Amino acid sequence: MSSRDYLGEFEHIVILALLRLVDRAYGVTVRQEIEVRTGREVSIGAIYATLDRLEAKGYVRSQFGEPTPERGGRSKRFFHVTAKGMLALNRTHRAVQRMTQCLDLVGSYT
Amino acid sequence: MMPQESLVSPPRLAAWLIDLFTPNEQTESILGDLLEEFSGLASKSGPASASRGYWRQSAKTIVHLVGLGFRVAPWSIVGAVLVAYLLLVFGASLPEEVIVRLIHFRRHHVTPYYNQTQLATYVLWFSTSILIGRLLMSLIIGCLVALAAKGREMAATMMLGLFSGASVGVFLLVGVLKRPQNPYLLPFLFDQFAHSIAIVVGGIVIRESRSSMSRRTSGRLKRI
Repeated sequence: MSSRDYLGEFEHIVILALLRLVDRAYGVTVRQEIEVRTGREVSIGAIYATLDRLEAKGYVRSQFGEPTPERGGRSKRFFHVTAKGMLALNRTHRAVQRMTQCLDLVGSYT
Repeated sequence: MMPQESLVSPPRLAAWLIDLFTPNEQTESILGDLLEEFSGLASKSGPASASRGYWRQSAKTIVHLVGLGFRVAPWSIVGAVLVAYLLLVFGASLPEEVIVRLIHFRRHHVTPYYNQTQLATYVLWFSTSILIGRLLMSLIIGCLVALAAKGREMAATMMLGLFSGASVGVFLLVGVLKRPQNPYLLPFLFDQFAHSIAIVVGGIVIRESRSSMSRRTSGRLKRI
């Protein structure tokens, strides 16, 4: 991984949702968390596409839970942020902080 | 008495479409999540609202997954579609040639007709068999494209169907401009529409067989 690997905007939001949800992060809860916190309606397909991309990069890992009757006997796929994912998150945060330093964003645009 | 959510089930067509468009490794999670949301919404707002929500989520998910297929592997899809399109163009006369050769072979042994009724039957059989042969060819080409575009079967076959339909659309437009009263244009349009559908059906056949193989494998793994 290069030290220039930053998270994309939606990847950033998804990783933050995983961190907020701790050990109950799966498709439904991640989607709801993003919807409640950002007011952005996203499809479950978009969530999984992003999570799979993050998993391929090694930023998150997933594991299947037990099948449940309310899901028609299908398992939940739980996601966790890895140490590599935390590094990418911090790097992205620092970059955003550096870019916004000395900018009066709130005063200028509200 | 059973709770309401266990009595209602999500729209089958939407669930089937999700199953068709979703990569095998995501199908279980996505269908499970959608069902969980559907059950929650059905108990809160009623089955009609839950069904609408399920359809909305399914449509958005399918659009996203199709778009993703093109973004992730555009060249493999475009390559498979182009090769298949060339097969369609250059192999279009193959079913006719095979049927004509078969008939010629038969003609040396058996005269196909003796009177007017038999001639009419022969012509009907001849044209129908060519139509079926060409549809089968489109179906087979749809299957081949789906085999080549693993995981993106529906995106590839739909693209081929649309591409083939669009090229025929241009051809038709030119035909209509040249000769607006041509009686063969409408049947030709239906014929080409049927071919586009046959291509997509080929994609569905391959996708469904891959899905059932994947379900069997995961079922076996769960039992172990």
